[in-house]
Amino acid sequence: MSKQFSGVWATYEYLDDFCGAIRELRESGFQRLTTLSPCPRHEIDHALGDPQSRVPFFTLAGMFVGFSLALTLMIFMSLDWILPVSGKPVVSYPIMGPVLFELSVLVAVWFTLISMVGLILRDLSKHPFPKGKVWKAYTRFTRDRFGVIVPCTQHDLEKVESILNKFQAEEVNREA
Amino acid sequence: MSNVTYASINDDILHSMKPPGKSWFASMAIILVMLGMGIFAFGYQIRHGMEGSGINNPIGWGVYITNFVFWVGIGHAGTLISAVLYLVRAPFRTSIYRASEAMTVFAVMTAALFPLIHIGRVWNFYWLIPYPNQRLLWVNFKSPLLWDVFAVNTYMSVSILFFLVGLVPDFAVVRDESKGLKKLFYGIASLGFKGTNHEWKHYMRAYLLFAAIATPLVFSVHSIVSWDFAMSSIPGWHTTIFPPYFVAGAIFSGCAMVLTLLLPLRAIFPGFKDIIKIKDMEAMAKMILFTGFIVTYAYSIEFFIAWYSGARYERALFWFRPFGELKFFFFLMIFCNCISPLPLWSKKLRTNVPALFIVSIFINIGMWMERFNIVVTSLAHDFDPYAWGTYTFEWVEMWITIGSFGWFFMWFFIFVKIMPSLAAAELKEALNPPMRSAHE
Repeated sequence: MSKQFSGVWATYEYLDDFCGAIRELRESGFQRLTTLSPCPRHEIDHALGDPQSRVPFFTLAGMFVGFSLALTLMIFMSLDWILPVSGKPVVSYPIMGPVLFELSVLVAVWFTLISMVGLILRDLSKHPFPKGKVWKAYTRFTRDRFGVIVPCTQHDLEKVESILNKFQAEEVNREA
Repeated sequence: MSNVTYASINDDILHSMKPPGKSWFASMAIILVMLGMGIFAFGYQIRHGMEGSGINNPIGWGVYITNFVFWVGIGHAGTLISAVLYLVRAPFRTSIYRASEAMTVFAVMTAALFPLIHIGRVWNFYWLIPYPNQRLLWVNFKSPLLWDVFAVNTYMSVSILFFLVGLVPDFAVVRDESKGLKKLFYGIASLGFKGTNHEWKHYMRAYLLFAAIATPLVFSVHSIVSWDFAMSSIPGWHTTIFPPYFVAGAIFSGCAMVLTLLLPLRAIFPGFKDIIKIKDMEAMAKMILFTGFIVTYAYSIEFFIAWYSGARYERALFWFRPFGELKFFFFLMIFCNCISPLPLWSKKLRTNVPALFIVSIFINIGMWMERFNIVVTSLAHDFDPYAWGTYTFEWVEMWITIGSFGWFFMWFFIFVKIMPSLAAAELKEALNPPMRSAHE
């Protein structure tokens, strides 16, 4: 995120204009786009080529870790201090169900949360943001406006601006 | 939602977070008095021991365990609304889920107090946690009480995380609409969230997974709470119907509490009426009707099985409930849970705010009575007539119970003022997006 930014950012009032601009930018070879929106929209995902998240793999890993942790915990504790109850086996598998389930869920949730934060930070670090005053003062992306940031070389600035204006951008700002 | 726009959603949420007025402070004063008396009563119990409560021999579980089960149950509807209804994409969920989720978190926080209050020597609570202690003794994993420790703690952790993760984009909304210290505070709370595609991509996938993980928790936690009873051999407790019966009862009571909280909220903030629509409240009323019928069926089946099984002790207990000295609580439960929701069959009453509010209060009372009936009457009428007993409410447990409502409402009142009580991002997602094609 601390990288020097060179490129253009624009704001849009309408979603169809915005998605049209994203599509055309991608077709013109500008793939490293960052979009901003007040809420998640499938139309934007489709325009961006339906990117997929890897969070579910971490959730699955968390579930296995939690399950193994619970199993190890219960077997070790049952054998470390023998506590005979109602003639049941010392290591009794049927009674482990609730704790196995609960710890699997608990660890899976933490893995989900931590992986989500980690993956977001990783993606954001790869995509530079504008640094100018106008950018810093603009706060309508969480209110009612859509935005797109297009990193590009000096050579491509004009081309990007023309695409953004073609789809009736509300504001187009250049930073180089 | 014709008058509702992306911008108006932000405005309505910010309006609800304006500095509190006189009515808020007056309500908070009453709540703090309730809580203060509860804390005083708990202090008295620590000083004088459990004699301050109505717990006796043979009724070793009384009002505190009743309160525990009641509050865990209240929490269930929040998770049902936020997780289960998210997975099935129920449209009425969007406007009510944030407040319901907050209700869940605060209800579970309240429930978690009661095992500690009930054990008497509260300073030894950590003996329930499996840690390598000085006596080299481990906890008993064959006990459903320990399963409950894991279940309630997992449920509380997942509910809090689900709630906080859902709040992050809305904290960003408040940050961008604020200035000065408020901006700094909500900037920290929003973790720098900007609403980029990189954030939404992982966020939405994680949120879906949270919902998918929380869904079985809704059913597991109250099933495990019911095993606290069903795994024993006490008449009235030892029954396989308990898990579905408890889960349905929990959703029933939780939906009623959602109405108890949201109907006043809707009246206090005028902008909310466009968002929390009466048809959303009607959907909750239908859920109450449906789960109310499951609860009524469970009550009937309990009596039928007591007769049909031929088990004498079971029959004796189910004779004792409607005709013994605690029959008042039984009939109050039947009236509140089985009869009072019946008017909701009428659409006119389902869409009438005062009627819905009154029914929701009755159900709250009725579901507390249900737990009291299960916990106390079963222990009062055990196998051996020599060991039968009865229960008398004591002032300490009554004030601790009232204090628990104070504790719950204190958090909810604070929540309404410092956190967005509507989910801005999800409400916007449910709207038709602004399209140029629609304007031309």
